[in-house]
Amino acid sequence: MYNNFRSAIKIGGESGQGINSVGKALAYTLKYSGFYTFGYREYPSIIEGGFASYQVDFSGVPINSSSKNIDLAICISRAAIHKMLPELNRNGVLIHSVIRFSLNKEEALLIQKNNIKVFYIDVFTIIKAINANRLVQNTILLGAAIKLLKVDIEFAQKALGKVLNVDKKVLDLNFTALQAGYEFEIDAEVIDLPASATKENPKDDFLMLGNNAIALGAVKAGVRAYYSYPMTPTSSILEFLADLEIETGMVVKQAEDEITAVQMALGTMHMGSRALVATSGGGFDLMTESLSMAAITEIPLVIVLGQRPGPATGLPTWTATGDLNLAVYSGHGEFVRCVVAISDIESAYYLIQKAFNIAETFQIPVIVLTDKQVNESMFQGNKFTAEIVIERGLINDSKTSERYQLTKSGISPRWLPGSSEKTFIANSDEHFFNGRLTEDETEVQLMVEKRMKKETGLLKVIPDPQLFGKRSGDVLLVSWGSPKNTILDFLNLVKGDSKLDFTYLHYEYLFPLKTELFEKLVKNFKRVVLIENNYFGQLGQLIKKETGYNFKEKVLKYNGRPFFLEDLLDYFNYGRTMERPKILK
Amino acid sequence: MCNCAAYNSDELYTWCTNCGNYGIHASIKRALADKNIKPSEVLLCFDIGCHGNGADKINAYSVHGLHGRILPFAAGAAIANKAVTTIAFGGDGGTLSEGINHLIHSIRANYNFTFVLHDNSNYGLTTGQASATTKQGLEMNSSPSGVTSDTLIPMELVLSLKPSFAARTFSGNIKHMESIFKQAIEHEGFSYVEVLQSCPTYNKVTPHEWYAQRVYDVSTLEDYDSSDLELARKVAQDVQDKIAIGVLYLNKDKKDYYSRLASRKSIKTELVEEVKGYNVGNIIDKFR
Ligand SMILES: Cc1ncc(C[n+]2csc(CCOP(=O)(O)OP(=O)(O)O)c2C)c(N)n1
Repeated sequence: MYNNFRSAIKIGGESGQGINSVGKALAYTLKYSGFYTFGYREYPSIIEGGFASYQVDFSGVPINSSSKNIDLAICISRAAIHKMLPELNRNGVLIHSVIRFSLNKEEALLIQKNNIKVFYIDVFTIIKAINANRLVQNTILLGAAIKLLKVDIEFAQKALGKVLNVDKKVLDLNFTALQAGYEFEIDAEVIDLPASATKENPKDDFLMLGNNAIALGAVKAGVRAYYSYPMTPTSSILEFLADLEIETGMVVKQAEDEITAVQMALGTMHMGSRALVATSGGGFDLMTESLSMAAITEIPLVIVLGQRPGPATGLPTWTATGDLNLAVYSGHGEFVRCVVAISDIESAYYLIQKAFNIAETFQIPVIVLTDKQVNESMFQGNKFTAEIVIERGLINDSKTSERYQLTKSGISPRWLPGSSEKTFIANSDEHFFNGRLTEDETEVQLMVEKRMKKETGLLKVIPDPQLFGKRSGDVLLVSWGSPKNTILDFLNLVKGDSKLDFTYLHYEYLFPLKTELFEKLVKNFKRVVLIENNYFGQLGQLIKKETGYNFKEKVLKYNGRPFFLEDLLDYFNYGRTMERPKILK
Repeated sequence: MCNCAAYNSDELYTWCTNCGNYGIHASIKRALADKNIKPSEVLLCFDIGCHGNGADKINAYSVHGLHGRILPFAAGAAIANKAVTTIAFGGDGGTLSEGINHLIHSIRANYNFTFVLHDNSNYGLTTGQASATTKQGLEMNSSPSGVTSDTLIPMELVLSLKPSFAARTFSGNIKHMESIFKQAIEHEGFSYVEVLQSCPTYNKVTPHEWYAQRVYDVSTLEDYDSSDLELARKVAQDVQDKIAIGVLYLNKDKKDYYSRLASRKSIKTELVEEVKGYNVGNIIDKFR
């Protein structure tokens, strides 16, 4: 019934004002009251000050993306008011706690034109009254906001309890602040939300970051050691796994640098346990010599590469999918690798597990691409459907085997150091059967070919790209990584509209590239549109290299922002087809 | 009983005549055999350099890694399976230039493995360039007017980090090396062993005889106390006239990396035995 209902609330202020916590609390509140949510965080690479925001989109159906425009703005700083006012939809509401600020002419006009309501919440009087400090002003505003939304305060209390990692005293203070905000008299309309979806009840859903799902997938896969050097957007994997270390018994080590992290992982993997490393572009650059070593020694390796815009330090806290080329071409020498990309919590959870199976079965490096939009956004889910069995490709009896012996598949027998009397050397110099060094031209050629043969088998186990929609129609969209979420939300939104007929082809397994399905499909569509969060259209380039196909239509975004719904609505000339909440007099 | 010959490989050595590496290899084999550790119970991890070219000239589970990066590899291996004895080998180039950070942090972390530094005071494999331990002013390949940087005394650096085990030995004395290697292997924690290694091809100023005339074992000193860090720092400084070898410093009270891990406290198995599917349902429920 409310498939089309979508709304967005954004909390803005300065870094250090607890924007992230209250944003998450708002998402939980809305989920507990029966909505599907998506939480998107924007923040500068500083600890205090600047402008930071948390946006919660919510709907009667599952959603995984944000809209550019919002219906309710909650502003804790002056800068937030000026920044968020233009983002409000018609009939939008802005509540704030800023004592003095002045609007310029354009802003005043905008308020009039769009019929925006602005309310001041006197948080400082409330803070005095409840004997608290400034830090709770976000909670007071949350209370005022849920009152406006007619949401039960119990849901917000439960949400605060879930999100705030504080002792009982501080939590109680926040409850008081929430109540006070809730009771604050706003002489105003209420925002009328439709009754939430009744078919399935999302109240018991979980909300987690992409990074949580990556970590959980790793724990599930039997990863017993995690080595990492902090770098946004993967740092919270390290934090989360460290918080879980007693429960999981894992070794979680903040290494002295990324080279250390990846070498420790190689050491652990070589011995036969499972170790994971995660980093972002800069740290991955440092790891690439080791990637090359993994390839020649045939030690399995899995690296999570969380993308953010580069080059160099780039935009540390923003998003991009600009490192596909890096993942595919990094490391000196020629070797077989596998590159996959996650796009949401479900794919994060199961692709990490698959990555280890592929790395161990084929004895190759596997790079798992993610991007800040996936790593740090909060997704809603209920259960992880994929059940993945651990595959290790180890042999039990090594008596008659040679570690690097030639085989048809290129995969040689692998056993673990210490597990058999038969020893071998893992040699980063070119080597022959048992790992001893060789420079003999015939032996070198045979070994290179042996390792390269793995690609044939790899291509057999790699699935085709995922198809959403029919095999023919008006428009075929092609993408990978987090843009998938905006694309699918967009398709869901315009489904009833008969203007254009869309199909989406999603590349989860990117390298080696599967092209058969793509080549079949392009013939059946009037338009083929490449959508990527980078400048080059790197997947497009890869497809062109493999198939010769030249994308004529590309939607590329490279300003550090993810794709918002409006980006696609505008590109395909749709008006605002979402149903918005009503403001009641 | 394991004998030395078990470690012999069919491969022929490729080092120069009289290279100090021969003696080091012979001693490590003797030490391992004497400790009754079989070739299949050890992981020998070699850096890239002349010493590393011995990686496939010894029969054992071995690794030949990247230049300057063998310490973190060995650390990851040692963490994964304590039942396998881990020993790493590196040159003064790889260890004190390319990957010097790893040396510092391995000592701080006190990973449980032995590290043997082959200090021949030059980059052997790349044909005789200066290393951090080359004496300042010496004319080397690519430093024709003499090395400009100050000379590093690695033991001074190591001792400044309060290691748990720091020893020095000499590639011309097999018995001494064997004894030091055995103690290093027995020690629980990061065992730093510096070998003063002769390089007949590129290091003409401190050849075998030069060292032989100057080294003395600290145990021959009256009242030498290897638990006294200040004393160790004092004797370590002289690398010109009277050069101290032996176990210069030992701190048995320092816990090794693994024993410091709260997460591994009550766990008896090794990481290599724990790869299986784990149930994460309880953790997921925390997010509901
Ligand atoms: C990243 C990298 N840089 C440079 C080299 C070239 N290289 C090989 S061995 C070596 C130096 C060897 O000196 P040392 O570590 O002292 O070992 P030795 O040969 O003296 O035993 C260098 C620079 C390399 N293999 N890898």
